Amino acid sequence: MDAPSVVVPHPHLDGAADPRCSLTAVHALRTESLTKRYGRPRLGPLPPGPEVAALTDLSIHVNVGEIFGFLGPNGAGKSTMIRLLLGFLHPTAGRAEVLGLDSERASVQIRSRVGYLPGGIALYDGLTGSDLLDYLGQLYDRAPVRRAELTDRLELSERTLHRLVRDYSRGMRQKIGIVQALQHDPELAILDEPTEGLDPLMQRAFYDILDDLRAAGRTIFLSSHILSEVERVCDRVAIVRAGRLVALEDVGALLARRRRHVELRLPGRLPDLSRVPGVSGISAHDGLLTCQLEGDVGPFLGAIAGLPVADLTIEPAHLEEAFLEFYEGDDIDGNGTGHQSVVAGQRPGPP
Amino acid sequence: MSWRLFRRTWRAQRTKLLAVAVGLAIWGALMPIVYEAFREEIQFIVGSGLIPEQLTRFGGGDIFSLSGTVALGFIHPIAVALVLVFALGFAVASVAGERQRGTLEVLLARPLSRRRIYLTLLGATVLFVALAIAAQVVGTFVGSSLSGDVGELQPDRLALMWLNGVLVFAAFGSVALAASVSFDRLTPALALSLTFVLVSYFLQIIGSLWPAAGFLQPYSLFHYLDPKGALSGTMTIGDWLVPIGVFFAGLVVALVVFPRRDLAAPA
Repeated sequence: MDAPSVVVPHPHLDGAADPRCSLTAVHALRTESLTKRYGRPRLGPLPPGPEVAALTDLSIHVNVGEIFGFLGPNGAGKSTMIRLLLGFLHPTAGRAEVLGLDSERASVQIRSRVGYLPGGIALYDGLTGSDLLDYLGQLYDRAPVRRAELTDRLELSERTLHRLVRDYSRGMRQKIGIVQALQHDPELAILDEPTEGLDPLMQRAFYDILDDLRAAGRTIFLSSHILSEVERVCDRVAIVRAGRLVALEDVGALLARRRRHVELRLPGRLPDLSRVPGVSGISAHDGLLTCQLEGDVGPFLGAIAGLPVADLTIEPAHLEEAFLEFYEGDDIDGNGTGHQSVVAGQRPGPP
Repeated sequence: MSWRLFRRTWRAQRTKLLAVAVGLAIWGALMPIVYEAFREEIQFIVGSGLIPEQLTRFGGGDIFSLSGTVALGFIHPIAVALVLVFALGFAVASVAGERQRGTLEVLLARPLSRRRIYLTLLGATVLFVALAIAAQVVGTFVGSSLSGDVGELQPDRLALMWLNGVLVFAAFGSVALAASVSFDRLTPALALSLTFVLVSYFLQIIGSLWPAAGFLQPYSLFHYLDPKGALSGTMTIGDWLVPIGVFFAGLVVALVVFPRRDLAAPA
């Protein structure tokens, strides 16, 4: 999705952007060569400790009003990126701007306008859900205007909210986490693995909430390794690998470039499709022709028009394939387990 | 200071504070009562030479006067342990403990600066210590009234004793909170703070029991906890300046370290 030409007004926007930042109004978030390396610095005569590059030279921007997916396996640098945006970490090099404010110099102002759902959220077990939401909401200057709507849509009843958090299931904790992040109607929501622990029905309810937030002009930065989720809800996606950006694309464009799997069953002689644009990997056997189709389907449909087609299956491209292509031959989670950390099997509900 | 964070901290700690305050009040009341009830017997035993004289001057207190007995109550391990529930336990757990549990993440996501969070927690530590020691002082006053010795205690000097106690334990709290904001896990923060307290206590006690080790006492923060001096009007300027100095040293370290630290994702 391209940057919108008109900025959607927000009731809380005060226009008080940091004058030192060059951020344009259409960017909710932008990083320039953002780099974070961990390691012990030189301490007196002691040599410096080994350095680990968590994020290297990352430059992205997120437009106002879009849902932006930040995709990568465990250890790719997703959480580091979020923590840099919120001022929990200090960049080694480069800079980040959030809502027109420098993440280093104005992290408190940024956090007053941002909602954050940490991955694997930990909550105060000794409070009831209701007290916890009250407490966390009171630490903002804004009223929790969306709380009632969110608790209703996520099916958090009054009875549930009056139970202690320590008695909550993982899914209920995650729902509370979502409510605390969005209850004050933030201009930008940063959500780290937001559907972790939610059942399919609640996942669907959550996606509907995201759709409504986007329609209301809010921006969502969604970090995930659930590919189907990103494919379902995001407008654009950045893919990171070992702390480096390997792709930054419109989800639709990424999918359009993916090869679709085609199965064509025909009686008699199979046609020669090798010269059809976008068709590759042709294999024919016992009246079944399989191939891969990339880009526009028009030439392919034109080539088979008039043939006595008994059956035709064009399997849609999934982001999973695009993702895995970027990681082909790579040990994704860095522990020799290949692609196991990429959750491709989970499918969200229909749009 | 964030009053909302402070209020939440107060609500989370008030039951524990009540229990500690009641314990200290009872302990504070017991000392004058025990002194009055057994003073002659104790003096007889001490006079008989059965107990080495040094033991009767444990930690700078004594059992020959009301002020000495009250001082003994203040430096006694039971009283010290009760006050340290907040000066050490609360202070250490308030940041490092929350960080280890992962709940600090949720708090830091709010529009609160780390300095503000730290100052709120430091304020809470000082308040809890102040209330706990106030309970002990009140207990001492009540105990003295019950034993008929209240005439020996002057209210303004009781207030000085309270203030001196607050300063010393607030200094321990400041060191513990500085350790708390410097580590991601509770164990190293607790180990560092506890070592500081135990070494301080050891230096003070060994110096009071063994005259040859008396030179070590000024290196102990407990040396500047001087309830007997407060009650008898013999406090020194060091009894005020050293705890204040340690308090501000902890504060400066924390204010420098905490905002500059990288807070990586909880393990």
